[in-house]
Amino acid sequence: MSFDLQRVLASKRAFRQKLASQPVAEKMRLLDELCERARVIRRASAAAREPGMVAEDPTPYETKRGAGKS
Amino acid sequence: MNIKEAIKIINRMQTDGVIGRYAIGGAVGATFYLEPVTTLDVDIFVGFRPEPGQLILSLRPIYDYLADRGCPAEGEYVVIAGWPVQFLPPGTPLVEEALNEAIEHDLGGETVRVFSAEHLCAIALQVGRAKDKARLLQFVEAGAIETARFQSILMRHGLTPRWQQFERQFLHDQS
Repeated sequence: MSFDLQRVLASKRAFRQKLASQPVAEKMRLLDELCERARVIRRASAAAREPGMVAEDPTPYETKRGAGKS
Repeated sequence: MNIKEAIKIINRMQTDGVIGRYAIGGAVGATFYLEPVTTLDVDIFVGFRPEPGQLILSLRPIYDYLADRGCPAEGEYVVIAGWPVQFLPPGTPLVEEALNEAIEHDLGGETVRVFSAEHLCAIALQVGRAKDKARLLQFVEAGAIETARFQSILMRHGLTPRWQQFERQFLHDQS
């Protein structure tokens, strides 16, 4: 383990590259898992959100009613 | 949740003539080129077929088809194999082009059409939210886009000034 920032960043970049180079089927399986986790977190954080908190507004492809998202 | 199963059902819907050609965009599309990124839904861009006598595009045939196969509608989404899926018409010339030039990928024996990396980046630039810019940076850092192809898309869609601004803001050494 190192506290050298450059080494830490390089290590993170290498890990992301390793993930990106996985077969598509494996990446889609990971996506299934990530989505399930994101849903749980979203439910919890939505319940905790208070008026005045900063949150990103969705605004995607100019195709959705009102605003979109990605 | 099983995105491969969702794609299988969407392919079947295309084979059955409910939708025309489709392509995946958004975060799921990006995952074909980058590391997996967290998302809550799947964006499917699709060439809609107006119903006879109607000028307004309708999602009803899609909703009906999927409802018959146990996929419930929830607001703007249809839940397919556990994934909220949103069907979107190409709302800009850029997205229209992305749909026409989408690339076929193989997903464990299942063919799936996905926006090219260059179109995903151009769309991210056009949409321009913080998370779109972050995704664009991921593509650049990963070397996942072909520069000449990307530049020609930017030129065709008047996005070159925006790209130059993005480069100044995020890619040029500010030191």
